[in-house]
Amino acid sequence: MPNKRGIVACLVAIAAFGAPLFAHHGAASFDTSKMVMVSGTVTEYVWTNPHVLVKVDAKDDKGNITNWVLEAWNPVTQASRGWTKATFKPGDDVSLEINRAKNGQPVGEIRGRIVINGKEFKESL
Amino acid sequence: MMSKRLVVSLVTVMAAGIIAPSLRAQDEKWNNVPPRRSAYDGRKSSGPAPRRDMSGIWDAAQTLGVSGATEHPALLPGGRGAEGGREDETGIAKPLPYTPAGLEALKKNKPSGPGVRQVDSVLTNDPAGKCDPLGFPYMFLWELRTLNVVQTPKQVIMLSPFYGNYRVIWTDGRQPPKDPDPRYNGYSVGNWVDDYTFVVQTTGMLAKTWLDHAGRPHSDQLAVEETYRRVDRDTIELTMKITDPQMYTEPWLALNKIPLHLQPPDFDIPELLCSPSEFAEYNKQVGGVVLRDSSKK
Repeated sequence: MPNKRGIVACLVAIAAFGAPLFAHHGAASFDTSKMVMVSGTVTEYVWTNPHVLVKVDAKDDKGNITNWVLEAWNPVTQASRGWTKATFKPGDDVSLEINRAKNGQPVGEIRGRIVINGKEFKESL
Repeated sequence: MMSKRLVVSLVTVMAAGIIAPSLRAQDEKWNNVPPRRSAYDGRKSSGPAPRRDMSGIWDAAQTLGVSGATEHPALLPGGRGAEGGREDETGIAKPLPYTPAGLEALKKNKPSGPGVRQVDSVLTNDPAGKCDPLGFPYMFLWELRTLNVVQTPKQVIMLSPFYGNYRVIWTDGRQPPKDPDPRYNGYSVGNWVDDYTFVVQTTGMLAKTWLDHAGRPHSDQLAVEETYRRVDRDTIELTMKITDPQMYTEPWLALNKIPLHLQPPDFDIPELLCSPSEFAEYNKQVGGVVLRDSSKK
């Protein structure tokens, strides 16, 4: 289990983003009331149905590394937002804003800011 | 004074900037991304509608496609993505007119899609969760994205790369079957009621399919009427009426004048298929891991 205080760099009030626009497939499992920032190194990028996955090794403040599995939508929807099969690659340094699994597992839905190697990635929404 | 050539160049550059998103989409010959809804705001008609013609690539121009579960005001208690509302869908504005049997059937369906009754994805009994055929009208009430409509003298064929669906609508004057052997997509017959209005009647659907991604039920008595109104060359408005006396006390509109926008003839629709093995892998890596109450697994 990941350290509660670590890994998670910051919490952002959902108020800043308004109510979640869409009910994600399986969104009931995720806490859509707040954003969590996960920062670390991409270990795998899975460009496939039903959901694109970005796996990230994130270090907590004690140096423990947890591999997060962070999902987006399907490739077609992600493409409409400007993502491609090459948006992420292993080794990329990323910060991703997510809704975390309610049960505390290191799994989340990518819902907010995306920073790749220090550069803000703007979705074409 | 600016030269004429310079003015033309400037105007060309400015115009390219304004319409860049649509041009960009057309630059690539494959996996085209349709324009967003806002691209059609204030756009002038490119001409009158052709007579009795549905053919072309049509896009519903939604970020995630039209979803009956979210488009109809009564279909999503608590609003988009919210977890409020009531499980039996009472106490909301314009509730669907369920019969007692309809409400019982509704409660048996455990959707992973939007709404107050949404369950963890691995706990759903949604046919879509097993990559079973969606059937009709589910295929049109969940993420209706882009359709390739082919018209022949006797048929209108609708190809939807979303989950690999297709429909054949007969226009040869035949009547719907009187005692149909139920099938996923039912039996569709279409008629032009005037030069710009195409009405499709569909019956004979398998009762085990769902009406939409939010788990609304239907019986084998379901009859769906679609009205395609060709407003002009660029636009069709789609209205869908649901009639099912076993499940609903009166007919209701699942879609009401949803605009479909004509795309260029070389528009390549990306595929979006449901693969059971990919779904199983997703449930292994995500769906099963995020289950809120593991005792239910």
